[in-house]
Amino acid sequence: MGSRQVIEKSLTLLRSLPRVSLNNIRDNPGSKRTQKRGRAQHGGDKHGCGNKGSGQRQNFMRIGYETGTNPFYLRVPQEHYYKGHHYRRQYPPLSLRILQEMIDTDRVDVTAPIDIASIVKTGLYNFFPDQKHFGINLTDEGADTFEAKINIEVQWASELVIAAIEKKGGVISTAYYDPHSLFLLKNPKIFFESGQAIPRRMIPPQDAIEYYTSAENRGYLADPDQISQARIKLAQKYGYQLPIIENDSDYNILSERKDPRQIFYGLEPGWVINLKDECILKPKDEELLRFYSL
Amino acid sequence: MSAGVRHNVSFETNNIVLIALVAIRSIRYSKWRRCCVHGARLRGFLLEKINFLTSQYSSFAKSPFVDKITEQYNYEITKNPTEWKFVERLMPFKTIPQVVPKESYPSGWIPPKEEARKLPYFIPRTKNYAIPIYLQLSFKGNRKITQLKKIEGDIWLMNDDIKHLLKTKHKRYVETRVHEVARFIEIKGDYVNDMKEWAFSKGF
Repeated sequence: MGSRQVIEKSLTLLRSLPRVSLNNIRDNPGSKRTQKRGRAQHGGDKHGCGNKGSGQRQNFMRIGYETGTNPFYLRVPQEHYYKGHHYRRQYPPLSLRILQEMIDTDRVDVTAPIDIASIVKTGLYNFFPDQKHFGINLTDEGADTFEAKINIEVQWASELVIAAIEKKGGVISTAYYDPHSLFLLKNPKIFFESGQAIPRRMIPPQDAIEYYTSAENRGYLADPDQISQARIKLAQKYGYQLPIIENDSDYNILSERKDPRQIFYGLEPGWVINLKDECILKPKDEELLRFYSL
Repeated sequence: MSAGVRHNVSFETNNIVLIALVAIRSIRYSKWRRCCVHGARLRGFLLEKINFLTSQYSSFAKSPFVDKITEQYNYEITKNPTEWKFVERLMPFKTIPQVVPKESYPSGWIPPKEEARKLPYFIPRTKNYAIPIYLQLSFKGNRKITQLKKIEGDIWLMNDDIKHLLKTKHKRYVETRVHEVARFIEIKGDYVNDMKEWAFSKGF
């Protein structure tokens, strides 16, 4: 292979590779030598192992072993109340009173559907997807004084909360987001700046499917006919006149929903958002379209 | 939209190698090897196949099992204001939005009044339009201190007013601490709701 070919080949390779940065470079080969353990007069003393005993002989005991005595970790009886707590999904609470206060102080725009992105955007809701936070639990504090007519999407809601929102002519739905899409919803700007294509939202895990397919919880995977029946049923239970959404002047806002595979309102998976030139890059490739339509 | 190397060695190819290896072993150790001519022929055929499948290439990427890499996918650039609205909606606030005056505030939030500026003392709102009156807990919640922060104007007059108000309301002496430099007053005990009510009545 001629040198010209090599240059061209490496240039084409460079074009497809990511930009050279601190996280993808390494030292020159042979520039570093690992230190060898010295013997006798060449630094052969204790080698950081101390004098005598377990440390020097390197017979490391298993963790918690107390050389024969009943170890501490077995001395106390086990309690399983919190078994698997670090796997459980956490839903940090947001009360209806605080949501109303956000609306009153113009932090949340009522003329658009509210989702976790618009709640996090207020800066008044602590949300950490890396700490097993899976979204908002809308709680019923301030349900009596709640007045706003909104289209809101949360991750967990009680019956009273659903009633409080539907009484005022609003719409509530519960939806599942996988941790990766929650990171995008927490800070969409940083994600768009990274130049990556918007991914698909994942379907809920096995133990969450029941919640998100039930019409009583207004799940996003529930049958719409069953949801409208459940709305009427709840209105009868709590004794209020259910406002008809179809006749509402804000019908377009109230009827806006996301696709189960969609993360952001109005933006489809596979699109790349260019914030600098204010344009959207949409895939036309057959392979990509097939991937993102699944 | 560039993709990395896709190693498209199919599951089936791997399976063929496995099945072939098992078949060769079974022929070698079975009676078929001795009595059947077809067994030997089959063995030769399978070995040939395996030589093809497990032959060494200069690199994995050059083996026939890897598809050609697509470096550039086909895409279109669109500038649509209706679609861009959805992007703008997601962008964070550059500043905290001003509160537009409304007829009523169902949440119980009360806007500050302009007349309060004329009083000898004043408490401005925080950047989040909240009144800076807090409850400070210490010693595992045993010591409760109500703190009024960001006080402007005559802090000592304000202290006297607060003391008088709480004494008449609760019919007991209330201890306070005034920090003139840091502009705060601390009241011993939980009087947050009383103090907030008083501050809103003054128009702060």
